[in-house]
Amino acid sequence: MFALLIQDPVNINGPDRSPQQAVDAYGQLTKLASTFSHVDGLFYFTYAVCIFFFVLIVGVLLFSVVKYRRKTWDQLPASNTTHNTPLEVVWTVIPLIIVMIMFAWGYMGARDMTVVPLEASRNTYKASAKQWNWTFHYPNHPVASYNEVWLEVGKPVQFLLESSDVLHAFYLPAMRVKRDVIPGRYQSVWFTPTTVGEYHLFCAEYCGKDHSKMYAKVHVVDTATFNAPQRPWDQWEDSTPELAAKSGANLYSQLCIACHSVNGTPGVGPSWKGLFIKNADGTYTGRQREVIDNTDGGKRKTITVDDAYIIESVHLPEAKKVAEEPYVRNAMTAFPDLDERKVRGLIEYMKTLADTK
Amino acid sequence: MTTNVPVIDSHAAPVAGRKNFLNCSSGFLSWAGTLDHKRIGIMYLVGVSLAFLAGGLFALLVRLHLWKPDGMLFDNVQYNQIFTLHGAFMVFIFVIPAIPGSLGNMVLPLMLGAKDVALPRLNLLSFYLWLAGALMATLAIVLGGFDTGWTFYAPYSLYTDQAVVTIGLAVFVLGFSSIFTGLNFIVTVHKLRAPGLTWFRMPLFVWAIYATAILQVLATPVLGITVLLVAFERLYHIGIFDPRLGGDPVLFEHFFWFYSHPAVYIMVLPAFGIVSELVSVHSRKPLFGYKLIAFSSLAIAIISFLVWGHHMFTSGQSTYALFAFSFLTFFVAIPTAIKEFSWVATIWKGSIALNAPMLYTLAFLIIFAIGGLTGVILGALNVDIHLHDTYFVVAHFHYVMMGSIALAFFAGLHHWWPKMFGVMYNETLAKIACGIIFVGFNTTFIPQFIMGSRGMPRRYATYVPDYMGFHQASTIGAMVLGAGVALMVFYLVASLFQGKKAMQNQWGGVTLDWLTPTPPPLENFDEAPVVTTEVYDYSTLDYKAMQTPVA
Ligand code: HEC
Ligand SMILES: [Cu+2]
Ligand SMILES: [Cu+2]
Repeated sequence: MFALLIQDPVNINGPDRSPQQAVDAYGQLTKLASTFSHVDGLFYFTYAVCIFFFVLIVGVLLFSVVKYRRKTWDQLPASNTTHNTPLEVVWTVIPLIIVMIMFAWGYMGARDMTVVPLEASRNTYKASAKQWNWTFHYPNHPVASYNEVWLEVGKPVQFLLESSDVLHAFYLPAMRVKRDVIPGRYQSVWFTPTTVGEYHLFCAEYCGKDHSKMYAKVHVVDTATFNAPQRPWDQWEDSTPELAAKSGANLYSQLCIACHSVNGTPGVGPSWKGLFIKNADGTYTGRQREVIDNTDGGKRKTITVDDAYIIESVHLPEAKKVAEEPYVRNAMTAFPDLDERKVRGLIEYMKTLADTK
Repeated sequence: MTTNVPVIDSHAAPVAGRKNFLNCSSGFLSWAGTLDHKRIGIMYLVGVSLAFLAGGLFALLVRLHLWKPDGMLFDNVQYNQIFTLHGAFMVFIFVIPAIPGSLGNMVLPLMLGAKDVALPRLNLLSFYLWLAGALMATLAIVLGGFDTGWTFYAPYSLYTDQAVVTIGLAVFVLGFSSIFTGLNFIVTVHKLRAPGLTWFRMPLFVWAIYATAILQVLATPVLGITVLLVAFERLYHIGIFDPRLGGDPVLFEHFFWFYSHPAVYIMVLPAFGIVSELVSVHSRKPLFGYKLIAFSSLAIAIISFLVWGHHMFTSGQSTYALFAFSFLTFFVAIPTAIKEFSWVATIWKGSIALNAPMLYTLAFLIIFAIGGLTGVILGALNVDIHLHDTYFVVAHFHYVMMGSIALAFFAGLHHWWPKMFGVMYNETLAKIACGIIFVGFNTTFIPQFIMGSRGMPRRYATYVPDYMGFHQASTIGAMVLGAGVALMVFYLVASLFQGKKAMQNQWGGVTLDWLTPTPPPLENFDEAPVVTTEVYDYSTLDYKAMQTPVA
């Protein structure tokens, strides 16, 4: 049965989650990529203490079991001692001292992680969590990015965290950083990325259906790349319709794939296949769509799908709702930060899915 | 401890044809309406065992699904429902009531030399509340399931369109079952100890159940109120936890863990009690540091009310709160460590019987060492920030909940099985099953420690391919564990039909539960016992005169 199950991992839908995270020298933790080395220090210290006590306890236990094992039913114990005050004091006091060391070490580390230094607060990003996407806003740059974020290596950074629906948690294992994202209040974390590379950002607090797919990739890049005139998160190739469609397809697989299919299968939202119809002369016409127009008192209307409708659907999904079960009951995530240029890329991609007349 | 009534040859085979609590009456109503603590204990035993098997089935489904990074069996919604069912069934319907409800009910009055618990009708009511809660939880599955995790964190639990109110009410009802059981046991311990059975002559299982009962009575109401508030907020939109209505989701976490941390000890203290008992009987030695163990149970019970914040180290508490909660958390480690050391010291130079109950106990001692020590790793603030909500935590609490509590429950079950039913199971099979369970358990959860420390978050229906090897190892372990449990269920059930008759005092124990006939008569003792010796005084039994036990 298992032979059947053992297969190579197939590509997961959504953003590419390829970066295999390197493992540190002791083989337990992901290789550290921030300055919070006290986490690893205390982890391995505690680990060593645990192994010591485990070997001690299990060693004594197994030794006794072998040595004092009952051979005949009426065998009496070799000793009936029930007290040994020095021993009891020792095994109370020594663990107490050890855990107090761990406590102090851990507390100082946690303070370091909680109190945001000035330098980091001057480099503040905003990370907005929404079922099941991350949106990142950069300091001193207007373009936002979704489910991917770029950081400059060696530069302390603060993230202001906000959620517009339920609890999430911002978790960067390689940086040893985690903070719950709580609706109705801001939280913050800071760290200094030390190694160029790509890292996982997970949502660590259960947030519903696609909790496990609420993933972002963190790119830590060198200063030159970060400050290049075309910022790494602001690259959008749309010089030809084909390239625009390609960029759009890419974005689709990051943001829209969870709810929209491209092959006609119904999802949370309607499939994009057939949204446009290709005419004989190579131009495209939008299909007819029955919608509930909430900007016009919830009237039922039939419209022709066009660029304006799609842009509105992305920025303000509630404005016109598809009047079809079950879509009319389902809510779409709004993407108000997705600029028009990118939506046009998506539209180019939708057109590649057109039915031919 | 002996009594002034050595009416029975303490190690003879039971007299055939004697009336005992099992055969003194028959028919459905004689069970369904019984006030006898032993019959109620057996009904609990059947019930919690079924809940355990259901929860275990959900666990196997979870593990199978996670064989591949994008999941094998379910879509995400179904997966979320199944891990929630696993958690809710295991915690609320199995672990919390398991030991007090079944073994506690069975053994506590026997150990005290009482005819029954103090409030037999309340005891039956507790059982029916448990049953009602379990049925409501099952109804919630029929109504479409629930996907909030067993923690019901707001505001997700307020928005999700699933049967949260039903399961919330189930938890509420189960809470009352637990409160009533606790109340009953407190009164019983205070009022029904046999003459001469002073507090410090009580077996440690009684102490543990007593400490648990205090926690049940004091902590459970908070859970009840919290789930009611969630239900009200869902139904009437009162803003308590929902930030859109001016509520505070972190408040929910505080309420929830104010109960659920002590609940960890509601679950684990009875397990400690069983282990204390078994370590002594099967080493034939008085417990090392008896008073220290008794007091450490009470110390744990009290401190456990003050550490709930360690479940919320990443929720943005002030550094002062972090300081206090982490400090107190490390403090709980000490009485817990003392217990483990005392058990090992009891075994040291004992007369150690390697029978089935003792093997389960030894497995407990090894697994609990890991469970406890990894808890220390999590208590460190900065390390916990990294490990919180990862599989490291999952593995840690399974080492405590499943590896320790369930194994202690199995140990106790094997220990008192001959007392309850008057038959012995096949001990060879029992030892094999114990080995399979031990190996399967560790294979399941050691990989989870590693992937957790590398950042694998919990409650994930799909995962990045980095972790696939660990998940597959864990799944294989779970299958082995499942096979071990299946074998155990098989030989235990089989023993009821074809088990050899058990001895009067199968293991050579000296607490009162071993000094009544096997199985006990309806009112437990033929003559009211009087205790005249200290607890765990094995010199009072003449082992030479007893025949070697069967099986
Ligand atoms: C959470 C699920 C969800 C996500 C993610 C999502 N959508 Fe939607 N979308 C819906 C639903 C539900 C509808 C139908 C109801 C409505 O019109 O609001 C819809 C409707 C639409 C429509 C109108 C389609 C039609 O057939 O008339 C467009 C265009 C659209 N979405 C584009 C996008 C784009 C572009 C993205 C990614 C940037 C996206 N959606 C992401 C759920 C989603
Ligand atoms: Cu999440
Ligand atoms: Cu806790």
